[in-house]
Amino acid sequence: MKNRPSIWRIALTTLLIAAGVVIIGYSSRVTKIDFVRLFKDAPKAKSLISAILSPDLVTRDLQTTTIEIAFPIPCGSAPNATPITSGPHLTTSVPCASVKDTFTLEGFSLSPNAQIAIRWQIPTIGSLTLPYANTDANGHFTMQLDAKQIAASTNNTASFIQVDTRIPVGNMKPSQAVNDVLQAMFVTIFMALLSTSIATIIAVPLSFLAASNITRHGPVGTTVYYLTRSFFNLIRSYDPLVMATVFAFWLGFGPFPGTLALMVVTTASLGKMFSEAVENIDPGPIEALQATGANRLQTIVFSVIPQIVPDFVSYTIYHWDINIRISTIIGFVGGGGIGYYLSTQINSMIGYHKAGTAIWAIVAVVWAMDFLSAEVRKRLA
Amino acid sequence: MLRVENLTKIYPGGTQALKNVSFEVKDGEFLVIIGLSGSGKSTLLRCINRLIEPTEGKITWDERDITAASPKELLKIRRNIGMVFQQFNLVKRSSVMTNVLSGRLGYANPWLSVLGIWLSADRERAIKALERVGIGDKASSRADALSGGQQQRVGIARALMQEPRIVLADEPVASLDPVLSHSILQYLEQLNKDGITVLCSLHFLDLVHRYATRVIALKDGVLVFEGLPQEINRAKFKEIYGEEAQEVRATSFEAPA
Ligand SMILES: Nc1ncnc2c1ncn2[C@@H]1O[C@H](COP(=O)(O)OP(=O)(O)OP(=O)(O)O)[C@@H](O)[C@H]1O
Ligand SMILES: [Mg+2]
Repeated sequence: MKNRPSIWRIALTTLLIAAGVVIIGYSSRVTKIDFVRLFKDAPKAKSLISAILSPDLVTRDLQTTTIEIAFPIPCGSAPNATPITSGPHLTTSVPCASVKDTFTLEGFSLSPNAQIAIRWQIPTIGSLTLPYANTDANGHFTMQLDAKQIAASTNNTASFIQVDTRIPVGNMKPSQAVNDVLQAMFVTIFMALLSTSIATIIAVPLSFLAASNITRHGPVGTTVYYLTRSFFNLIRSYDPLVMATVFAFWLGFGPFPGTLALMVVTTASLGKMFSEAVENIDPGPIEALQATGANRLQTIVFSVIPQIVPDFVSYTIYHWDINIRISTIIGFVGGGGIGYYLSTQINSMIGYHKAGTAIWAIVAVVWAMDFLSAEVRKRLA
Repeated sequence: MLRVENLTKIYPGGTQALKNVSFEVKDGEFLVIIGLSGSGKSTLLRCINRLIEPTEGKITWDERDITAASPKELLKIRRNIGMVFQQFNLVKRSSVMTNVLSGRLGYANPWLSVLGIWLSADRERAIKALERVGIGDKASSRADALSGGQQQRVGIARALMQEPRIVLADEPVASLDPVLSHSILQYLEQLNKDGITVLCSLHFLDLVHRYATRVIALKDGVLVFEGLPQEINRAKFKEIYGEEAQEVRATSFEAPA
């Protein structure tokens, strides 16, 4: 009897397992878990991933050369073009055409593999842009064109077909995306730097109020100690993103509410960490300096400060590091900086290569900050 | 002459650490304080420079009333009372030089000193103090890079910067091994020979016999013995340390060789 599990135990276990299965099943339904799609839809991510892997980094100045050919519509409305046969030139299958006719435009000896812009240059009206085309390896292209009413000759002057070739000239230089990303990155880094440094300035004095060995003496001190500590704990329980949303209610989105939110949360977080550092100092040196006849300020400067400075500096750098990541995310929901740039480029559908630039910049900065903060903390230990 | 009269200390928790303690210390004495752990030795030494405020009683030094001194006067008085600690109480991350110089804070310009600006005379004094305790070459080391014995010598050098007339030493060798104990106590003995009064709490009877010129003993905050070191024999020791403690203490409290 003793060794056999009771029927109730078996029933209970079965029930628990069943309940577990139901809970997991239900939660995967509400969160729309679908691992098949993860693989089935993988091609959709291809363009984004390949864009990320080929970020928009460099560019070259483009030189535009324009060639043209006159094309009277209808025939006889203006003189036909004199044919050119050497150098970059255009030819048409017929020298002129009536309205609604179709003809072929060909280009020769243009720069190879280049994108070209084609347009009608119509007298007194202006230009009418046609679709882009590309030249082949020999600098040749062909294109079907319609002889439209709008391109008809006026006052014995024919419309021209113009072709622009853009060829890169000069040295490679950082692309516009790189400039924009750098600028946005500066905003993010300084958002984090500003919020962290202001938070540090506020947290240092507050941390002494929240340190039991300094403040928790007498009824007033004890009250101040508990108030400061509760304030820290209350604020710390809010996520910076939630806090940023709260600030955005009356400040609108942008870098300011984000910085403010980071600052408030960092103040509480640093305040707590600093106060623990103050609580952990060795009281021996304080006693020793009091015994020498040093005054209060001298005692603090010579015995308290040297003990807390390394911790304070390393916590501050650590928070700067964290805050760069957080401000990237705050930026993503409208707070400016690199996060905002990234979200704009991803939403624009055509900015994937620029998004790639931003992602690599974030990776580089986060890695660099990680390294820097680890290095500084190692030195201070 | 340091005179302690009816000194009583009751801690906020209600512990009565000193009960009506009275004794005198003449200039130039090496007074050793003995007693069980918790008997009130540290409390007594800290009442003398008022790191701990006495509850009752009076401490006078050459007609100056230490217990009645204003905060400002107290700083002046403390300047001339050096203190050496069992745990050395150095600022571990600071250099040996900074630790020694900090013994001079009571004399230095308050504003310049907090900026780390020192008179060159003070720096020279610090080097001399370090040389006097045999570690002149360690000035630029970090304090925690030194061995225990060396750290205690820095502690003594820091006290020397105060140009003290009294040195209070609270179990200065309790964290050190016996060989180092002698070397540290010899420095204190040397100071004593140079005219500085020393009040020192100790745990080992052989050290008491070797260095003390006079001994007082505390038991549960009460002064139970005052006399010459030779007067402390096993019987006295039993009286001071109690019957039960004898077995535990007998090994460390060997009769002098
Ligand atoms: N800050 C304090 N608050 C409350 N009680 C204290 C405090 N410091 C010491 N005491 C108590 O006062 C009594 C005397 O302590 P004291 O440290 O003076 O003894 P001691 O002789 O130096 O002991 P030890 O040899 O362990 O250093 C002890 O009972 C101790 O628990
Ligand atoms: Mg003690």
